Amino acid sequence: MRAIVRMVVVLTLICAASGLTLSAVYRLTEAPIDYQIIKFVKEPAVKKVLTGYDNDPILDRKRIVIGTDERGNPRELTIFPAKKQGKTFAVAIEGRGKGFHGTIGVMVGVSKQGKITDIAITSHSETPGIGSRITEPSFTAQFQGLPATGEPKVDGISGATYSSRGVMSAVEEALGYAEKFREEMF
Amino acid sequence: MASLQAEFTKGLWKTIPPFRLVLGLCPTLAVTTSGINGMGMGIATTFVLIFSNLFVSLLRRVIPTQVRIASFIVIIASFVVIVELVMQAYFYPLFKVLGIFIPLIVVNCIILGRAEAFASKNTPLLSLADGLGIGLGFTISLFTLGLIRELLGAGTLLDIPVMWASFEPFTFMLKPPGAFVALGILLALMNLITQRQAQRGGGR
Repeated sequence: MRAIVRMVVVLTLICAASGLTLSAVYRLTEAPIDYQIIKFVKEPAVKKVLTGYDNDPILDRKRIVIGTDERGNPRELTIFPAKKQGKTFAVAIEGRGKGFHGTIGVMVGVSKQGKITDIAITSHSETPGIGSRITEPSFTAQFQGLPATGEPKVDGISGATYSSRGVMSAVEEALGYAEKFREEMF
Repeated sequence: MASLQAEFTKGLWKTIPPFRLVLGLCPTLAVTTSGINGMGMGIATTFVLIFSNLFVSLLRRVIPTQVRIASFIVIIASFVVIVELVMQAYFYPLFKVLGIFIPLIVVNCIILGRAEAFASKNTPLLSLADGLGIGLGFTISLFTLGLIRELLGAGTLLDIPVMWASFEPFTFMLKPPGAFVALGILLALMNLITQRQAQRGGGR
């Protein structure tokens, strides 16, 4: 009996100590990790979809509250504004869509005139060589200049219907945010 | 003091993983596509190995034998998550390349093997020396293997082109079968050296 109690107590203590340590490390590394992801993942995408700005869209990024999750915590969206002489003329917004294997993240540039400037895939786990062709310029360039409202109409990639649709729904989501929170963005 | 040194140096040649112990082959074959990647993986593993050895050794009298494996795994997993977070926060490109193989350090048999076979029976200082030695040996192995594969597979060393202009890289060396071939050749070379040493020792 004593052996069992000891087993439980020791294992519990070890796990508790581990949990405490990890939560402390997580808190310490949270901000640097955010920064690294923005620098290595978001920045190239933002630079691709926005052109002709004289500010730093990464530095000027802002967070807007877009609703609450099931626990009642606010859900936030990070937007990257492109400005000229202090006036925002386009923003980059990230939308998500369901691809063939998990979520596809797409950075969408939306101009003040209501046009898509360009899109860039920020994250995906589609099949290499088939679904991964959504990152090719021949596919993403089709979105340039389309009206920034509703579902975008482009030709999908043959053999990669789900992946193409995933990109379209991600773009649609981003455009939805752009329409709904227009005042906060421009 | 002599044994402390012995515990440290045995990991560098006599029981150098993955060649002599032939443990931890999964990360060895998967991430050594370049010297830097191999070294990054080796350093991450070394960090986990040193601290898991230290803590397992410190707690060796407290942990009941029936739950020792569970306790070791919790200790190892904690340090792996620390490595993962720190790497993500400060070495993001390397983190992207190593990807799934960072969390997989948890199930690297070298680490659990050292905890079970060495650290749970020896003092913290000796365990530290053992962890450092084995970890360094692992790092050197991965770095060497990475350099060879990078040289033949991409014609570069640490991203610097070193081969002549008409050199056609063997992309085969960057694929998993190339890793097996490179590992096999290295292992054969090591055996050859050991054999020579034994012969010389016998002749004396």
